[in-house]
Parts: sequence; C-alpha cells; structure tokens
Amino acid sequence: MRGFRLSDRQVGILFMLPFLVTAGAFMVWPVAEAVRLAFYSYNPLRPDDLTWVGFENFERIFNDPLFWESFSQALVWTGWSIVLQTLLGVGLAMLLHVALPGIAVFRGLLLFPYIVPTVVIALNWRWIFNSEIGIVNHALVSLGIIEQNIAWLSTPNMAMTSAVLLNVWKYTPFVIICVLARLQTIPTELYDAAKVDGAGAWRRFTDITLPMLKEVLVVVIVFRTIWTFNKFEEIYLLTRGGPGTSTFNLAVYAFEEGMANLRLGVAAATGVVMIVLLLAGTVVYVRVSGFGQEEKAT
Amino acid sequence: MSAKIVLGRVALYALLSAVTFLVCFPLVWAFFTSVKPKEEIFRWPPTLWPESWTLENYRALLEGKQAYFQAGAAAASGPPPSAFFLDWFLNSVIVTLGTTAISTIVSTLAAYSLTRFRFPGQRAVPYLALVGYMVPSIIFVFPMFLVMADLRLTDTLFSLILGYVCITLPFCMWLMWAFFRGVPIEIEEAALVDGASRLRVFWEIVLPTAWPGIIAAAIFTLIVSWNDYLFGRVFMNSMENLPLTVGVMHFFDGTHVDWGLMMASSVMMTVPMAVLFMLLQKHLVAGFGAGAVKG
Repeated sequence: MRGFRLSDRQVGILFMLPFLVTAGAFMVWPVAEAVRLAFYSYNPLRPDDLTWVGFENFERIFNDPLFWESFSQALVWTGWSIVLQTLLGVGLAMLLHVALPGIAVFRGLLLFPYIVPTVVIALNWRWIFNSEIGIVNHALVSLGIIEQNIAWLSTPNMAMTSAVLLNVWKYTPFVIICVLARLQTIPTELYDAAKVDGAGAWRRFTDITLPMLKEVLVVVIVFRTIWTFNKFEEIYLLTRGGPGTSTFNLAVYAFEEGMANLRLGVAAATGVVMIVLLLAGTVVYVRVSGFGQEEKAT
Repeated sequence: MSAKIVLGRVALYALLSAVTFLVCFPLVWAFFTSVKPKEEIFRWPPTLWPESWTLENYRALLEGKQAYFQAGAAAASGPPPSAFFLDWFLNSVIVTLGTTAISTIVSTLAAYSLTRFRFPGQRAVPYLALVGYMVPSIIFVFPMFLVMADLRLTDTLFSLILGYVCITLPFCMWLMWAFFRGVPIEIEEAALVDGASRLRVFWEIVLPTAWPGIIAAAIFTLIVSWNDYLFGRVFMNSMENLPLTVGVMHFFDGTHVDWGLMMASSVMMTVPMAVLFMLLQKHLVAGFGAGAVKG
C-alpha cells in the first residue's frame, strides 16, 4: 500500500486545488472582466460589438446628474441607517445583557430579523406601509399622530424613510450581536468598584461601558458603512429606486444601467468607482482596527 | 427581593416586550394576513386578530391558482405566476443545498491545506479572501453573467450555484482558516509519527474536531443562498427556473396585488429560515463570534 500514499506536499496541493480553480474562474476572472468592461462599450444583445472607448464611460457617469444624485442619496441612506442601527443596537444589547429569567427568548426573537430574506421584508414592508390599507397608517391615525394617511412609498422623503427603517430593522441585530459579545467580556468587578465609589448608572455607562465598547463599535460601524453604502436589494425590492429616482443609490444606478439600459460598460465603470470607494473604506478599517498587526508580532 | 428590584424588573420586562412586539410585528402581521379571507384583508379599519381563519391563500399557492386580482398582460400570457410556486421552492432548495455543499467542502479543504502546508503567498490568501468578501454582489453580477454566457450556463440552476459559491466562498474560507489556526496540531503530528497517512489523519482526527467551524460556514452559506435576489434576477430567464426570491416578485406583475397570496409566500419563505434558526441558534452566534456574518 505504501506506494499509493500521497506525499504531504501532494495532499496540500490537492486540497488547495478546488479553491484555486473556483476562485480563479469565478472571482478573479469576473473582477478582472468588470474592470476591463469599464473601458468598453458593450450591449449584451449585440455580443459581437465590443468597442474600446477609453475613459468615456467614466466621463459619462461623472457628467450624469443621476450618478451624483444616487451618490448623495446613498450618503443619506447610509448615514441615517448607521446612526440608528448603532444607537438602537447598543441600547438593545445593554437591555439584553441584563441577567433576567427568560432573557434568551427575547435575545432569540430580537436577533431573528437578521436572517429573514430581504424579499420577505420588502414584501412585508410594502404591505404594512401601504398607503390605503396599511396597518402603519391605521395605527398612526388612530393614535392621533397623523390626520391623513401618508403615501409612504410614493413620496420621495417617505420612501427613503421606509427604506432606512427596513435596513435598520434587518441589520440592528448585527450590531446587537457584536456589542453583546463584547459586553459579556467586561469584568463585573469594574462596575462593583465604580458602585462603591458612588458612580451612578449613567456614569458607569460613560466611564466603563463606552470605552470598553469603543473598539468593537469602530469595527462594526466601518463594516456596516461599507455594506450599507453598497446595498442593492434592500432598496430595489422596496421602491425600485423610486418614486422617480429619489431612492437610487450607486448599486441601483449600476443595476439600472446594466439591466434596463443594457449599458454594461457604464455599469462596470460605476462598479469600479464603488470598488475604489470600498478600498478606501477598507484602508480606514485596517487603520482603525490594527487588523493584521498581531500577525506581524508573532 | 425588595420592592425596588421587583419594580425595576417589571419595567425591564415591559420595555423588552414592547421592543420585541415592534420588531416581530411585521412578521406576525404577514402571518395574520395570510390566514385571512380576501374580504377581511381589504377591510378598513383592519381587524387586528383574524375574525375567520382560512388556508385558501396557501392552497392557492400550492395548487397554482390565478391570483385574485390579476388582470392585464400578465394574466393573458400563459399560466399565472403562482402556478410556478412549487418549482421555485424546489429550485431554491436545490440551489441552497448545492451551494452549501460545495462552499463548505472547498473552503474546508483549502483552509486546512493553508494552515498545515507551506505555499508561496500563503499569508496573503486569507486577507484577500476578506477583501473578496467585502466586494458587493452588484460588482460581480454582470461580468459573472458574461462568464456564464461564455460557458453556456445562463438560465440553469448550476449557474446560480456557481454564483453563490463565489460570493460565499471568501467568507467560508476566512472562517475555516481562523478555525483551523486555533486547532492544536500536536495530535495530528503524533498520529503522523505513528504512521497514519495524511488523508487518514484529516478524515479521522481533523474533521471531527472541525464540525463547529463547518456548521458556522454552512449556516452562513445557507442564509446567503436562500436569501439572494440579484443573481437569480440577472442569470435566470424562464419562469420555471427562477429561485423563490425572484419568482414571488412576479406577483406584483398584475394591475392589482393579491396581498393574501403575497403574505402566504412570505411566510413560506421564512419558515425554513426560522426552523434553521431555532435548531442552530447556538452555532449561529458562534459563527458571528468568529468574524461577523456578511450583511
């Protein structure tokens, strides 16, 4: 049997091979293709017509008011989502950290939105925010908060508000999980000592909890900012970027250019801009988190 | 217990219950809507607790009935979208399981290889994987569509599996790499010294200890491939080949929307995830701990 044994080196290569093939064919190639396409004019209905256009696609998007509108709307969408998610996430994590009987049930229920398919949330949102027979309008009217039904999804500001609420609903659990994990590692002696020194609940929060959470919050905020900025489905499935173009972000812009206008080159150029922004975000992330530092140390 | 502590606890429970109610409400409301008969769904003001319960919406989905208000072009051309519901469901199941199998196997093998053998560029791979994991799908999707077109795979479930493998593999790789790095290699070395082959060591010693990592990677892959919309939308054409997420959006094709049907499909799409969540909640949190799931 000895003759059939694979050497360690062969096993190593054999195990690595499927990953290299898949990653090469379906990740490296498409990304290279994406960058290449950005310099071509290409319509998938005329596959033989691939024309080199240089930086024309980039000129086109930078001169397109819709691109800049999408960009600034992406900032609004990201800003509100991150602020609300962080505040709610920290608050709820503090609540869920309290040792109460039955707290596990609350934890489970509050984390569940995170794995609900975006399509499901979008459908539910369209239903509860329906302007005529939606339950949200009904609740707000009967509580006397508003007098007339709000056309949530067909007025620009309200559509953006609904989209932000959807994003907050789905992704606050992510913040909760990360913060909760950190909270559980803070030694309780710190709080006991502070109590002995006469620090009130708020003082204990600002002097002990917040500094301890700083690190994890920075990481969570950077990650969530990058992902939220590039989100497509959460907006597209709820509003299709509308009414008009009032909830377009760069991802919806790229999708519409590629899918509706069949300008894959322009879509790819938008993608390249997004990659550049993403890399900038990653650099920030590496800087603030000291990621990879411990590698060099060992 | 003093009265103050009891009061504090009551307040905490009240606050938690209120928040939980708000968070769960959209899903509960979807369920209530799905079991109401049509005329009750459209009643104003709405009935909070369903007055009469019915399974007609679910039956309509499973039997492929015409949507209630469907009219115009969508109704005129071919069978109604709901006729494909079971196909879509099955497609999603196949694609999800296929992706999960491929992604976990490929990433487990590669991560093991990466932590136990020497390669040029070894240190860069996990970090590149992490960068790959941050790249949004919208950037991959069109060039990958062209790759699929070159391979003549568009409109097949296999193209979807490949697409999802590509968006889940980087994170699975990262997860398994972090996992294997934490597994001490002394036992493996001892077995190797005793004359066991590398493959046997991997099969009998490494794999059994790797289960927590593999489960975390599998859960991540299951969630991503069950929930995705974008790839299905761009890659697939024929009604019968769509995944569930893309299919149900066709219920909006008519001039009116059948909310009962819509909410019933919403519930049916959520149930597999809910079951998974209940069974594997512990592992899910472990996976989060290992490095934050994509979202």
